[in-house]
Amino acid sequence: MAQDMTMKMIPLFIPRSHVSTAGNKTGSWRFLRPRYDEKTAPCSAACPAGEDIGRIAMLTAQGLFKEAWEAILKENPLPGVCGRVCFHPCEPACNRGEFDEAVAIHTLERFLADTAARYQLQADLERRSPRKQRVAVVGAGPSGLATAYFLTRLGYRCDVFEATPEAGGVLRWGIPSYRLPVAVLRREIEQMRRTGFEIRCNRRLSREFLQEAGATYDAVYLGCGHAKIPFLNIPGEDLEGVTDGLSFLQRVNRGDEPRLTGRVAIIGGGNTAVDVARTSLRLGAKPVLIYRRRRADMPAFPDEIQMALEEGVELLELRTVQRIDRAGEEYTLTLRQVPVVNCAAAGKACVQAVPQECERLAVSKVFRAIGLTAAESWFDPPPNENRVIRLNNSVLAYADGAPIIAYGGDVANPIKSVVHAVASAKEAAIALDITFQEGAEAIGERMKHCRVGGGSALSMEIHMQGPRCRRSDHVVAFDEINADYFELSPRIVQPRLLKEERIDSFAEIELKISANLAMREAERCFNCGLCNQCDNCRLFCPDLAVVKDADSGRHINYDYCKGCGICVVECPRNAMALEEENQTQMNTAEEGVHGRLT
Amino acid sequence: MKQVLEGSHAVAEAVRLARVNVISAYPITPQTHIVERLSDFCADGRLDARFLRVESEHSALAALIGASSTGVRTFTATSSQGLALMHELLHWASGARLPIVMAEVNRALAPGWNIWTDQTDSLAQRDTGWMQLYCETGQEVLDTTLQAYWLAETVNLPVMVILDAFFLSHTYEPVDIPSQEQVNGFLPDYQPRFQLDTRNPCAFNQLAPPNVYMEMRHNIQQAMDQVLSRFGQMEDGFGVVFGRRYGEVEPLQCDDAQIILVTSGTITSTSRALQQQLRADGERVGLLKIKLFRPFPADAVRRILGGAQKVAVIDRNCSFGAGGIFAQEVRAALCNLSARPLVFSYIAGLGGRDVTLDVLKLIYRHTKDCEHCPDDSIWMGLHEVHHAT
Repeated sequence: MAQDMTMKMIPLFIPRSHVSTAGNKTGSWRFLRPRYDEKTAPCSAACPAGEDIGRIAMLTAQGLFKEAWEAILKENPLPGVCGRVCFHPCEPACNRGEFDEAVAIHTLERFLADTAARYQLQADLERRSPRKQRVAVVGAGPSGLATAYFLTRLGYRCDVFEATPEAGGVLRWGIPSYRLPVAVLRREIEQMRRTGFEIRCNRRLSREFLQEAGATYDAVYLGCGHAKIPFLNIPGEDLEGVTDGLSFLQRVNRGDEPRLTGRVAIIGGGNTAVDVARTSLRLGAKPVLIYRRRRADMPAFPDEIQMALEEGVELLELRTVQRIDRAGEEYTLTLRQVPVVNCAAAGKACVQAVPQECERLAVSKVFRAIGLTAAESWFDPPPNENRVIRLNNSVLAYADGAPIIAYGGDVANPIKSVVHAVASAKEAAIALDITFQEGAEAIGERMKHCRVGGGSALSMEIHMQGPRCRRSDHVVAFDEINADYFELSPRIVQPRLLKEERIDSFAEIELKISANLAMREAERCFNCGLCNQCDNCRLFCPDLAVVKDADSGRHINYDYCKGCGICVVECPRNAMALEEENQTQMNTAEEGVHGRLT
Repeated sequence: MKQVLEGSHAVAEAVRLARVNVISAYPITPQTHIVERLSDFCADGRLDARFLRVESEHSALAALIGASSTGVRTFTATSSQGLALMHELLHWASGARLPIVMAEVNRALAPGWNIWTDQTDSLAQRDTGWMQLYCETGQEVLDTTLQAYWLAETVNLPVMVILDAFFLSHTYEPVDIPSQEQVNGFLPDYQPRFQLDTRNPCAFNQLAPPNVYMEMRHNIQQAMDQVLSRFGQMEDGFGVVFGRRYGEVEPLQCDDAQIILVTSGTITSTSRALQQQLRADGERVGLLKIKLFRPFPADAVRRILGGAQKVAVIDRNCSFGAGGIFAQEVRAALCNLSARPLVFSYIAGLGGRDVTLDVLKLIYRHTKDCEHCPDDSIWMGLHEVHHAT
């Protein structure tokens, strides 16, 4: 009997409840309030074209190449060009650089453009309904073409006038094909043209056009570029055989490839000088670059200088050319050394010519390639006066009874680069749009909202009220990234032709990468400030207060969110924010007031 | 099938045969071989279980508490510092009435660092509501692990299967590994009495105010009390299938003994040899091995030791300020008897020091010759310590 009692199953007495806890609104305990708060990635703020790089990398990592390519096209119609020749100021700004190495954004951009070309993708981009204003674009270089592209998407009719037989400007005639194959350029020009504007080649316009244009056009965009190399003002530079470097590049780009022999001298330190040096090397010469300051002061992009030196280009720094003399087929340059006398912390070295022993350099040819200028004086923007608006990358001149004249590209940019040309185009297009719709006085205020991270780069997507509008201006810093969620992984190495393969051909130096490698590289991106659906917020929420929406978004159920902030801390990429509860209420109240006033 | 097996691997074989569903552990010497072998089983498919890698023993047990709440069979293993780190969750597992089984390899606690055997780690957890079963041989380790699931799932309390570091965990012995059919005949599939189930949502272990908390604790005590009778029932079932039984305590020639040695773990094996020698010499000596320490089999202890003149309890552990822990329990069990033996408390073999036949002989001799039983524990074989001046 006693045995039976001890063997009886003892009823368990444990705390258990079948009552739902839904009635316990733990949200009432909250004094901190998390919210989704997408921010600005530093790369996109550093990109003059304001490309949405964090999102582009996210889409690439997911294998959504078309969507990623379109995300570029929203802000920059030239990914194939920029993926090759851009000096990628985005990469030094990359937060991943403080972790291991910056993401190879430049390489990814090119991959996406190449992929779009390979599969002959057609972009589906948002376009506004047609508007009545018409714009003439003078010069089919990158800035002119991009202006027509952006304005067409904003609903305006555009005509592009080009003096040469083919569109492309400096991209067609100035940049050698080992950096930018013509087919890539033609493809992207065609892609832009298809948005719906006309390019009239062989139409060299005169200054009078500006007066006559008023009959047809509401505005004229002048993107005529820098196509003239100034004289050095030294004896002997007018000798036959002393050539303008840009004309030489144009000649080679037309298909005329003269054989060169012996040493050739290139005077200058910009990208044109480096292009001339590397082109002449491929034509058989031994080029020597002569630059008056140090290598570090050269305006040419450092990668280009590096590759030129690798290929065998010689560099003579801190020398000026005093005179050029000719004896038969040989030219003698008289050089003077110019020592550095003062060096500002972050500026160019100051040099001073001092009387010193002169050097002589014997060469077979001399190229002038110092700082380019506009070919005609009327291409340059007017001086500051009453009705001139000078923006970061463009200048707008207003006059009664005449079309608005906008200036952009090299004539308006301190840094002469393709991506700055695109920045000019976008800025001018947005400024013209605001002028047409609301008047010129609205430009300052309205443009402020289009700034990427509050900097000088503008976003066309924001201007067109796309989803990017909802991002905050805050630029995410590395210490705002939860680096615990990332593993060290080496940056992709851009494959290139061997030095030996490069120097006797104009074949493109940089090679393609596979989709596999591109996706792996894109996965390295922190996607700073952007939600990539990692779901950490939902998985870590102790109150199940993060709710997944049907459209794969998420929202916070504030009935139960206690404001512990775990979701914000565990967000690897700082796409959330935590604020004091009463602070948020105050903000909301202010917004309310704001709403009534406007 | 008989195989020569390490004690650690005997545990692993039993866990495999028990068809455990979730394993979570953090490596620590001398336990690591157990989970190493189990991770092999999971990897090669011999065991269909989730093996959860975690960052600490605290997390290992936390993971099992979650897993066990869903009504599946779970296992972990640890030692020494690892067990100490689990302390908070040991209370939770028993309070939540979860039948988790743990292999606990007795290892000394630091500092100074010592990986050798010592029972203080497990005995320091005697009040956490876990059953504790101390093993002597590789076969007993395997058998006890299977028995542990039976007991745990019958009374809804967690169990520690305890084995000596190295002397048992790393020693190879012939072990009979039963077939799956045999084990299934003894240990049926786990039928949880409660479980987390999305089809029938509920919350466990919420607030228990003063008007119910005490009853919940009494419920645990009742479950522990029941183990003492369930143990025999369990061994009956086990005996039918395997033909072996151990008993919660194992008395050896205690009926007519004047002096009885009380041991646990591997010291028992050496003591068996001594007891036989002494009997051959005509000494009336018995031996009591205590296998089940929680719940403490006080009735059996009283019945077996009550008639002896002297009892020598050998403790490979120490509760500082109170002495050998088995001795305390034995003294407490006997204290209300009107006639009771003198209980000598010996502390020996801490931190893995050998407890040899000679040490045990000294203990027996001392017990026999000493007329006044000291209240305090007697420390065996202390070396002279020369202090730096």
